[in-house]
Amino acid sequence: MKFKGKSFIAIVLSPEQPFDAWFKEVDRIISRSPGFFIDRPIILDVRGTNIPIEDLEQLLDGLNERSIRVMGIDGVSGTRLKKGMPPSFGGGRLASDVAVSEPDTVGDKDNKEVLSADASAVASSETSLVNPKDGDVNGQSVNGHTSAKPDKETSDPVPMEEGASIVIPEPVRSGQSILHPDGDVTVIGSVSSGAEIIAGGSIHIYGALRGRALAGVAGKDNARIFCTKLDAELVSINGLYKVADDFDAALRNSPAQIRFENETLVFEELN
Amino acid sequence: MISSTLYAAKRRSSTALVRDKKLHNLFLLPASQTRDKDALTEEGVASVINELRMYFDWVICDSPAGIERGATLAMRHADEAIIVSNPEVSSVRDCDRIIGLLDAKTKVAEDGGRMPKHLMITRYDTDRAKTGDMLATDDVVDILSVPLIGVVPESKDVLKASNVGLPVTLSDENSPPAKAYMEATRRLLGENIPVTIPEEKKSLFGKLFKGRAA
Ligand SMILES: Nc1ncnc2c1ncn2[C@@H]1O[C@H](COP(=O)(O)OP(=O)(O)OP(=O)(O)O)[C@@H](O)[C@H]1O
Ligand SMILES: [Mg+2]
Repeated sequence: MKFKGKSFIAIVLSPEQPFDAWFKEVDRIISRSPGFFIDRPIILDVRGTNIPIEDLEQLLDGLNERSIRVMGIDGVSGTRLKKGMPPSFGGGRLASDVAVSEPDTVGDKDNKEVLSADASAVASSETSLVNPKDGDVNGQSVNGHTSAKPDKETSDPVPMEEGASIVIPEPVRSGQSILHPDGDVTVIGSVSSGAEIIAGGSIHIYGALRGRALAGVAGKDNARIFCTKLDAELVSINGLYKVADDFDAALRNSPAQIRFENETLVFEELN
Repeated sequence: MISSTLYAAKRRSSTALVRDKKLHNLFLLPASQTRDKDALTEEGVASVINELRMYFDWVICDSPAGIERGATLAMRHADEAIIVSNPEVSSVRDCDRIIGLLDAKTKVAEDGGRMPKHLMITRYDTDRAKTGDMLATDDVVDILSVPLIGVVPESKDVLKASNVGLPVTLSDENSPPAKAYMEATRRLLGENIPVTIPEEKKSLFGKLFKGRAA
């Protein structure tokens, strides 16, 4: 028998009470970007909540109804989990939190934390090239990340070395996923609806951004997203995200840059 | 025409080819809908296509609907691809995925080449594109970023032709869809001619009320 390590990016969901409101936010993301949770490793993070097992059951049911498959639960000891529940999971380097960025900085704090998801990279021993050709219809793609130190106790972003940037010389099509947790990604062409770019650094798109762009997933809040035409389903920098409904209508279809400032996402027209 | 018939055809050599009744240089390799489609092996498809290559100038391989195995098999050995899309969001999205596969899962791509691609928009209805019920040709081209080879208008002539068992290009060669197909063919053969975008139907109402300021 042989064991192989694999590096990947997981979305970490940290549900918050009341769950109804939290699920509403999940639904909002799904309605704007139906593929976001599909075929992606999802970790449910309930650390520090002392969640009763009945509540956990209710949460898992709710996620199941939305076809969100949880691969592991962080923060509940394995002995408490019921049969049929995903296994207890610890480890993985926490990259950054994803939380709702309020349209204005003065947004109420409670709302801001409604849903927080982290992109975390898990320890790896297998590296594969980041190439759009790896993206298949299911959007599964192994990232080019090497040797992350599993460090689940660190909730602060782990500072990391500046990685090489990569250039994708062609459009990124629906269902494809470019994962490059260590540096910048430049795309020459458009990023289709249903496609995604996940980068540790900044994302530069010489074309329309119609899909998802998640920059700074390794905890870099100076990462930015640039595109010639903003028509995105979802954008995120260092964990803060916004879906299309949150965008300023005036910027729609314009050249734009998005940056992270004072715990919010700032959208600006590029000209 | 990709299905288990192809595989059977290979074993019984070229006898499964049917000569078209009207066009004597056109042969069809009929696809069976009933047999188990998974009976098709990649090698089987490859050898049939390679055999056909030796005898014909053009081998047109129709792809089944969707983005399943059948489509992947059909495109695998292509030298060139025509992507046919309706001007609807869901159809365009599927085409986008298929283009991604054309650039990843075909022989040409695996050998480091680029698959030449052409975009054909069909069932295009100018009025509905105008009102936003359907995407405009520009939008489809913009989303897919593949050069346009033709735009076939939505037309009753297509149904009429299929009722008499003929392709529209033979049943009424002066009909707008027939002209669009002929034009696309010339472009596929390398001619450099502009793409005709179907015209808006001038409605009588529009004309009657034009210029009547009250
Ligand atoms: N230009 C047109 N105007 C009106 N009707 C059309 C036109 N083109 C095709 N149709 C009709 O649309 C239907 C589907 O056409 P067709 O079988 O060519 O599509 P297809 O893409 O091959 O479908 P599938 O993906 O299921 O194989 C048929 O009923 C046909 O008559
Ligand atoms: Mg068909």
